[in-house]
Amino acid sequence: MANFPLACNYQGDYGMKLLVVDTNDTMDDIVEKAKKALVGVVVKAPKPGEVLRVSRHGEREYLPRNLKVADANFVQLEAVDITVEA
Amino acid sequence: MMLNNADWYDLARQTNWTPTYVTEAELFPSDFSDPYGIPVAEWEKFDEPYKVTYRDYVRTQREKDVGAYSVKSALDRVSFYQNADPGWKSLLQLHFGGLVFVEYGSVSAFARITRFGRGPGMRNMASFGSLDEIRHTQIQMLFGYEFLSVERAFDWTQKAPNTDNWVVISERHCFDDVEHTRDAVSAAIMTNFSFEQGFTNLQFIALSADAKRYGDHSFSTMLQTVQSDEARHAQIGEPLIEIMMENGKVAEAQKLIDISFWRVWKQFSAVSGVGMDYYTPLAKREHSLKEFVEEFVCQQFLRNLKALGLEKPWYWDEHFLTDIETYHHAQHIGLYLYRKTGWWNVTAGVGPAERDWLEKKYPGWNDTFGQTWDVITESILAGNLDKTEPTVLPLICNMAGLEMSGVPGKKWNVKSHHVDLDGRRYHFGSAVDKWIFEQEPSRYRSHLSLVDRVLAGQMPPGEDGVYEYMGMAPEERGRCAENFAWAEAFRSKKAA
Repeated sequence: MANFPLACNYQGDYGMKLLVVDTNDTMDDIVEKAKKALVGVVVKAPKPGEVLRVSRHGEREYLPRNLKVADANFVQLEAVDITVEA
Repeated sequence: MMLNNADWYDLARQTNWTPTYVTEAELFPSDFSDPYGIPVAEWEKFDEPYKVTYRDYVRTQREKDVGAYSVKSALDRVSFYQNADPGWKSLLQLHFGGLVFVEYGSVSAFARITRFGRGPGMRNMASFGSLDEIRHTQIQMLFGYEFLSVERAFDWTQKAPNTDNWVVISERHCFDDVEHTRDAVSAAIMTNFSFEQGFTNLQFIALSADAKRYGDHSFSTMLQTVQSDEARHAQIGEPLIEIMMENGKVAEAQKLIDISFWRVWKQFSAVSGVGMDYYTPLAKREHSLKEFVEEFVCQQFLRNLKALGLEKPWYWDEHFLTDIETYHHAQHIGLYLYRKTGWWNVTAGVGPAERDWLEKKYPGWNDTFGQTWDVITESILAGNLDKTEPTVLPLICNMAGLEMSGVPGKKWNVKSHHVDLDGRRYHFGSAVDKWIFEQEPSRYRSHLSLVDRVLAGQMPPGEDGVYEYMGMAPEERGRCAENFAWAEAFRSKKAA
């Protein structure tokens, strides 16, 4: 377990945020941490039924929801997009 | 009988003497003087558009000072300030804390041009430039400090450069690059042409017009007296560019302008843009930032650039024209949310009437930036004031030193352009910022933004470590200038 900084690009936000997660966190954990930090602050809550997913910044392919940060081959300050699943 | 200036000026300022105790190269090292290898005879052709003698300079400056100081002494500035609109107070607090130290820095920038410039006329003009900047520092320090008895923020008129506040770090990174860490020719083109000809009109003429409309006559007069000097010493840049062009250094001159124009634009967009479009009381706004930029930059500056035979920067159409519509709106949201990290109280400037104005001036504002303000407004109306301050830090652009931002809401578009170098990921808010980095990575690679410093463990321990690092005691931290009262209009609007 160790802190790991990510550049969080949350759908609808005006700018990227520094999101410090844990290497044991899954992609779904990242989503929850981002929601906790940003919903009601800079973005509205997702609509019922909407699922947020993580992808590498600028890539279309979502990362597996249970993929751990430690296994994602992220570099420090990797930028990730958190968007509503299409 | 006094000779006319024209009879002796050109001869008197021919000071390119032949050194005998040192070599030319020792006296004017190329890294400091001219890395472009242009013969000294060419630099001696430098012909300044404004020919000024010391006698004339002192007389004119004295008259200007008498004008500015007499307006100030005739008006009760402190009472004016105390009765001013919160937005105008925000603007003054930001202006004095954010700009005065840049003026003071320019004293040494001009001194370096005086010492290492190869053209005698260039050195002469730069000498007056140093005196100008001393005057700008003094007059603005005096005007700013006048409010210190009623507002703690004005302590930052003098304090700002002695801190590692994140806004100050951003400014230093820009102006150290443009003014202070290059040879005399490059620094003069970047400072006098890109910075001063390109943008000081925005802060000093446009803002002066708004100040006059608002009734802040002494601030307006102060800005005008500063700009009258800028207009003169900004002329150093053009003859330098002409000499470079005539000696085959077109690409080099273009690159200097492309880099510095963007760097300075980012600073002015955040400072002037926020001041014009959000802090200036609505009824007193003359134009939007976009309109001012279209007049002063897109027309005047571009005309000057083309007259010299240069092209508009490569990113003009794709990036700059887009940025005019968006960048300062996003920065303003961040400055409001992270207001505790600034020395000034932040005015939201997004009441119902202001939003109508923003939508009119920037079509689509409500569907984009307005979406974020909707969330903030709802938090305030629900009494969730803790939600108006994020618990996570923003990511900072490794070139601009400001928030990595884009367009929020329904047209969401926020992008990072990154570079990986020696195990470090650098994030840039635009392709232009990245391009600047790539031109000379060794110049920029060691710089750490405030967020980089947090990650590097440089903050003192404890909850207030970041503020302590930035030199900000609790009472110095910015607040919502209207104590959230601006949002109440939306409650009554909803009820109606």
